[in-house]
Amino acid sequence: MSATDLSLRSAVNELYCDHHGWLNGWLRKRLGNAFDAADLTQDTFVRVLKARSALEIREPRPYLSRIAKGLLIDLLRRRSLEQAYLDALANLPEAHHPSLEEQAIVLQALVEIDRLLQGLGPKVKQVFILSQFDGLTYPQIAEHLGISLRSVNNYMAKAMEHCCLMQIKMQLA
Amino acid sequence: MSLSPAELQAISAAARWYARLQSGVATDADRRAWNDWLIADPVHRQAWQRMTAVSEQMASVPGSLAAPALRGAERSRRQLLGCVLVVVPATSLGWLGWRSEASHNLLADFRTAVGERREFRLADGSSLLLNTDTSVNLRYDGRQRLLELLSGEILVSTAADPAQRPFKVLTRHGQVLALGTRFIVHSQAQGGEVAVLEKAVEVRSFSGASTVRVEAGQSVDFNARAVAAPRRNDASVGAWQQGSIIALDRPLAHLLADLSRYRPGVLRCDPRIAQLKVSGAFPIDDTDRALAALESGLSLRVTRYSRFWVNVSAPTGKS
Repeated sequence: MSATDLSLRSAVNELYCDHHGWLNGWLRKRLGNAFDAADLTQDTFVRVLKARSALEIREPRPYLSRIAKGLLIDLLRRRSLEQAYLDALANLPEAHHPSLEEQAIVLQALVEIDRLLQGLGPKVKQVFILSQFDGLTYPQIAEHLGISLRSVNNYMAKAMEHCCLMQIKMQLA
Repeated sequence: MSLSPAELQAISAAARWYARLQSGVATDADRRAWNDWLIADPVHRQAWQRMTAVSEQMASVPGSLAAPALRGAERSRRQLLGCVLVVVPATSLGWLGWRSEASHNLLADFRTAVGERREFRLADGSSLLLNTDTSVNLRYDGRQRLLELLSGEILVSTAADPAQRPFKVLTRHGQVLALGTRFIVHSQAQGGEVAVLEKAVEVRSFSGASTVRVEAGQSVDFNARAVAAPRRNDASVGAWQQGSIIALDRPLAHLLADLSRYRPGVLRCDPRIAQLKVSGAFPIDDTDRALAALESGLSLRVTRYSRFWVNVSAPTGKS
């Protein structure tokens, strides 16, 4: 471990001691639930450690709450996806249910796909889901949504480009 | 992101090829042309590999589960995610009230009523989404593509113009020049707000004193005299497209003012709770449900004198 690594660790450690309780309370008020608040508090400090910027932080609390807010939104997004996944599962005949282990993998894959699709307009997303997951052809999608074949084609190109750039961005992160 | 312009261009081209070949109506000529493109440049092949990686990721989940789950998540995000609160001492004294009036611009080219949202496709291929209570005039001529935003809020996605005419949005406080882009303009009595989702725009106040370039991911406030410095968009920008308002630690009064734009009649807020901080996603297509959620989530008292007159106040026995 290098000297910078050491001082970085002690800076994060200090940050943790000074503001851990405050952040936990802050999150608890917003989530109304102690377990999630504890998890997100932990995740926030992991982010700080990873960002390697602990030595430059001037105003710790605004900094921490900004990170925590991002994680909070991620959590809310994830919760809504989990719920929708369980609903979708409930509507599927039992014979088609994946095993519990497979389910965890599928859910994680869905979370990542959902993240790739984040930021796409609702129409583009709709077309993309119909093509990629419902397996509809472009003429079928065009008819289903009452839009032109050309629009379907353009929306698909747009969605693929977006997903590709998001995938690259996430690999770099 | 460390991608060169050539790589970005190749990714965009690869996406178009992918879309064409996936269509279910691709011809042999398409496939030959794609093949020519592919072998022309190693950068093309790399971009194509990236498309395959995306498609593999999509194929990693069973479609029968993924389709309803992704759609359902989208739907539920429009509904309530939950409310939480922090109480802050009140500052103002009188009741705060908002009353929406039907738009006076009955003769505008494009119009929406209170609570309505509509999309229009313009002759040049650009699209225009009108939020609640909005009116817009279209002034296209040989020199420019001009929209007059008389009141309300619009989301514009511009299309490239073969005649290369500039695309502008005019509000009563200033002008927004689109630089090939997707953006939101909201015009209010005191000033306007622009949020850029893709590419960039240039905002100029009517006085002409300042012109500010606003990039994707930024918003800016302006009035007739000046344009403020751009700030970062937060998660709530443009959520109305999907039928919701997203609040993150917003004062209750702001949230109610925003909700009141989507419902006819009077909505009033007790000044003692105006500064209450609220977080959550609130449906704008059913503002009664949004109010009901505030009522139960924050234990506020919502008094309905009629469908058109609603007071929001602190619960009894608590001040």
